[in-house]
This record gives sequence, C-alpha cells and structure tokens, in this order.
Amino acid sequence: MSALIKGIKLASNVGNRTPMLLFTAMSNRKASHWNKDLKPGPYPKTEEERVAAAKKYNLLREDYEPYPDDGMGFGDYPHLPDVPVECKDPYYPYDLPEFKRNFSEPVHAHVDTYSEDRTRADPFISHWWMLLSFSAAVFGSLAFYYWMEDKRIYRPVTPKQLPGGGKVHYTFERN
Amino acid sequence: MGNVAYRQVNVPDPADIKGPHCMNEPSFDPNFGFPNGRKERVMIATEEEMISAKIPLEERDYCAHKLLDYRACRADVFPFVYKCHHAKHDYLTCQYEDYVIRMKELERERRLYERQNRIEKRNFA
Repeated sequence: MSALIKGIKLASNVGNRTPMLLFTAMSNRKASHWNKDLKPGPYPKTEEERVAAAKKYNLLREDYEPYPDDGMGFGDYPHLPDVPVECKDPYYPYDLPEFKRNFSEPVHAHVDTYSEDRTRADPFISHWWMLLSFSAAVFGSLAFYYWMEDKRIYRPVTPKQLPGGGKVHYTFERN
Repeated sequence: MGNVAYRQVNVPDPADIKGPHCMNEPSFDPNFGFPNGRKERVMIATEEEMISAKIPLEERDYCAHKLLDYRACRADVFPFVYKCHHAKHDYLTCQYEDYVIRMKELERERRLYERQNRIEKRNFA
C-alpha cells in the first residue's frame, strides 16, 4: 500500500515538473525511463538566455514567453497560447493531422488537458444556457410525467379469467 | 422509501377507476341481454392433473387441458418436438380465443357503462 501511494506521489511530482516527460516529441506516451533532455532548463533571466531558450524550443523570439517563475518548476518551458486542440483550424495541412500538430512544434505544458478528447477553454454555450437547458429537460420531463400521469393506455381486455375461487365465467354463446 | 411514492403515483386504486378498465372485473350482470343466459366456460383439466404436471398458477386457465396435452406430447417424443406442432397450435389457438373473450367482455362492459350513463342523464334531465 505504501509503495502504491509513494508511486502515485512520484508520478504526480514528475508530471508536474516535467510535462514533456508525459508527452514526448512524437506525441506518443512512452513507458520508457525519464530522459534528462526532457527536463526544462532554468528560468531565463537575461535577454540572451531567452533567445537561447526560444531557439531551443523552435520558437521565434517574439513567440517565446516562459511561465512565471513561481515555483511550479516549468523553468524555461514556453507558455504557448492556451488554445485547445479542438479549437485549432481543422483544415490546415498539419504534419500530424490526428493531433493537429506539425513536426518539431513545441507541445503545450498542459497538453494532457488540452488534447482533443479532453476539454476546450472556451465553453461554446454560457453557463446560464447550460442551466436553462438542464432545467428544461428535467422539469419538462417531470411536468410531462405528472400531466400524463392519469392518462393511461392499456390493452382492451378484462383481467385474465382463471377458474376457481367461486367465480363463474361465461362464453358469448346463448343457451 | 421510494416504494411509497411509487405506489401512490403509479398504481391507481381500482376503486377509484370509473368505467371499464383492464384492472377491473366486469361489473354488470353477465346474463343481461341474454334471455336464456350464457353458456358457462368449462374447466376440463382437474386440479390433481395440474398439480401433478406442475403447471404454474398463472397458466391454470381454461386452456390448461391443451397445455397438458402439449407437454405430454413433448415428453413423449422428445427430442423430436416438431411432432407436437398440432398440440402447440391447438393450445395457442385456445389462448387466442380466451383473449378474444376477454376483449369482448371489456367491450361489453364499456357499452353497458355508456348505456347506464345515457339512462342516468335522461332520467336526471
């Protein structure tokens, strides 16, 4: 049990520190061991360091913006636009159309959240509309149920005629 | 807990049902309109036979003797049960005619109910 908990803690630690570990350059989640090349470098403080980091991540300097150095451990990893995969242009001729991604394009630090089977950042309907739709479905169904509750359909037959118990049943033939 | 709500909501009390309904036995005199009365339905299979053949309670109806024949035939010729097609058809036809009688009973109940309403309305007016 303790080994399990320690393993989960380790996995969560590693995943937080080096997201690249969990999502390697070819977008395959590999069960291989941790690679020191996947670890981001230290937070860039000078302009030269930023230029070097942008080159390291195949970005233009004006596109490169690191995460704030707030102890989350992202280091010099670039803060890419928070665009979920689902919101990317589906008609662009990507190198990897299934991930909407090009070769050597840096992956987002939270790629496991933004992948197409997960979430999208912009809810396409408002929360009020969500609540309204939910209420309409639930309470509409309930209203329909109670409205129709005394209007029943049944097969037009009397209960089954079982002999015994002092009951007498008749055919429709005359005596 | 939920059972109380279910019972109250879903199942009507037969006493509250007005007119003909699938849950109510016919309420009018069965021989009304038949000067010499109607023929009674005859139960042919005996209680002992049905108990001996382990016929379920819900199948101990006026077709039980045909069910007994069919089951006896199956037991005799198994596994060549296709030989019992006549007995099976006979039994199912009996069930169909039983169902038709029940449909006719409900229709009779409905017509007599409407007739009673008509008469009451005329007497009241």
